Amino acid sequence: MQRKPHLFTVLVLAGAALGLFFAGFSTYDFARHLDRQVHAVNCSFIPGLAATDARSDCHVTMMSHYSSVMRDVVWGGIPISLPAMSVFAFLLLFTIELCITRRQEDHRATAFLALAALLPAAASIIMAIIAFSKLDAACKLCIGIYFSSALTLLGALCMWRRAEQARRADELGRLSQDGDPREPLAERSNPFAATAAVPPDDDRRLRAQVHARGAAPVGMGYLAAAFGLGVLLVAVPAAAYVALAPDHSVFIGACGDLVEDKDAYNVMVPFDRHQGGVPTVEVLDPLCPSCRAFERRLEASGLRDQLDRSAILFPLDKECNWMVDDRKHPGACAVSEAVLCAGEHAGEVVEWAFGAQDEIRASAEKSDDGARALARDRFPDLARCIGSAGAKSKLNKSLRWAVRNQLPVLTPQLYVAGVKLCDEDIDLGMEFALSRMIERARAGTLKKRGAK
Amino acid sequence: MSLVVLNAVRAGVVALAFAVPTVAVATWTGSAGERVHDDQAAASAETSGKVPTASASDVGYCSPELKRILRRVLQSCGLIGDEGVRGCQPVQAKSVATMSGSDFNALFRPMKDRGGIIEFDKAKADLSEEDAALIDKIFSDQRGASYFFVVSRASPEGSVERNRELSKQRAEAVMAHLRQTFNDPDLDKEVGLLWLGEEFAQLEQEFCEWRRSGDPAQCKAELINRSAFIAWIDCTL
Repeated sequence: MQRKPHLFTVLVLAGAALGLFFAGFSTYDFARHLDRQVHAVNCSFIPGLAATDARSDCHVTMMSHYSSVMRDVVWGGIPISLPAMSVFAFLLLFTIELCITRRQEDHRATAFLALAALLPAAASIIMAIIAFSKLDAACKLCIGIYFSSALTLLGALCMWRRAEQARRADELGRLSQDGDPREPLAERSNPFAATAAVPPDDDRRLRAQVHARGAAPVGMGYLAAAFGLGVLLVAVPAAAYVALAPDHSVFIGACGDLVEDKDAYNVMVPFDRHQGGVPTVEVLDPLCPSCRAFERRLEASGLRDQLDRSAILFPLDKECNWMVDDRKHPGACAVSEAVLCAGEHAGEVVEWAFGAQDEIRASAEKSDDGARALARDRFPDLARCIGSAGAKSKLNKSLRWAVRNQLPVLTPQLYVAGVKLCDEDIDLGMEFALSRMIERARAGTLKKRGAK
Repeated sequence: MSLVVLNAVRAGVVALAFAVPTVAVATWTGSAGERVHDDQAAASAETSGKVPTASASDVGYCSPELKRILRRVLQSCGLIGDEGVRGCQPVQAKSVATMSGSDFNALFRPMKDRGGIIEFDKAKADLSEEDAALIDKIFSDQRGASYFFVVSRASPEGSVERNRELSKQRAEAVMAHLRQTFNDPDLDKEVGLLWLGEEFAQLEQEFCEWRRSGDPAQCKAELINRSAFIAWIDCTL
């Protein structure tokens, strides 16, 4: 057999190379964020050439809980695109190996290749389902990886099928020495001959391939070594990533704290209470998409139950908040009134607002009355309170609580035992930083800077 | 291709497969690590410069002159400085303001959208439902204001002493209502009472255009001066 790659082999090589390319860009984008800054993300079918975007679907996907693993061990976790990159590199390596050792028709080696190609394909299916159903984000870079996985698997399956055909031809070649030599080889060998008869020309070609084979089928030892190599190829870059990633634990507790965490104005609402949890204050705007995304990440992280959360309302809408110049989140003031009116049931109103953010914001474009009407419809018991002088005054006090604490004008903010979770740790690094803050708070070592 | 060359090529491919992801990862993480350590101070400064800090309002009309006068009035009336003093005597207000009545009133003109006039019945200091509603509406719209002024007056009928007492009762009626309606721990730090009687800074006709609790069809000088002028002041001192 020649070393020249067959068409199916070219498919695998192209798929693996493309996968390596897309997964490489994705890992690069992820790793750039290890410097705690905000970066634009490649989100194109031609990454590197098209313009980057800081608020694309790729950004949404990357910031989601599903983009990495071991997030509590290393800041941001190990991006899943990194093992993907390694797997594609392995598939590329193994396919080249099959070419240069003349094993493109080796049924065992190609079966192994097809099995290996199943891994990124299966991962792609799972990630695609998550992206479209849970994140509602069509990340082009991810789609590039899905496509590469499919191409690689298709090529590998075709290679395997072709090798199987060659093997059967080989076996029948041996059998035909005792049978009727005039009977076409493929007809006797192919169990599907009735529906897929091999023409005499193809039959001769298969025979020629069998005779042209230059290498014996690989043994199980060879495949075990290849498997081991694949595992190493995934493990080594991952280990390098963990070992060389910057140490972010030095920033924990260094991003500020509450000057006055007492609730003198009685404006803190019970948001997500858990007995025995670490007392935590969240500064939030119920119509802020970042607050919603933070809530979803917190829920997925499994750390939510370890916090005893109260909320301070901080709507980013100039209708009630003099600290902002525009209506960043129209209707946020009205919904915040509803949250304050709900008292013990504040969490229900916040959850509703998170789920209907777009609708509420649209209803409040002209005035807050639209948002108030929606809130009254949804929570009839609060109808009289929403929009009342008392509710407005309480919301104002909530904002003034932020003034007393000289908080930054942004949401969300999380104060664990009075100590701020750094803004840079709100998304990718949340599990890493928050789990350590909880641990330190329980151990009594999480101290405010001013505290002795 | 000889076996040696073949194996060399195979080894080269394996090495390359290891090198590409590992070197790339090492480069990217190392670079991020350098940026974290080298630029952290600059990044923090930049971030803190980008994100403003929550603060009380300090709007355009808060000129240095206005602030100076407000500070004197507020100190004299006990809102800033020593605690325990509430309200100003008319003479005190006049002396700390060191200005004419019309100039004193002019200080409040920019606060038209932030204030209103609570009109009382003749010789009375009781709040009607309309009065209470207007107080609630204006007080609940504090926004970023730091101080709430209640400047009460009386129309010139009757004696100076009676009018002084009457205007004091009107200011205190507003304060009592605020205390009863709003559970605000800052009330004593943010509400300033000034009772001017009939002696100083009677409201001019132009204040008829402000929000009033009285009959909108009627606005005479004696009506708007049987009143408590209330307004949030969006200045920090």
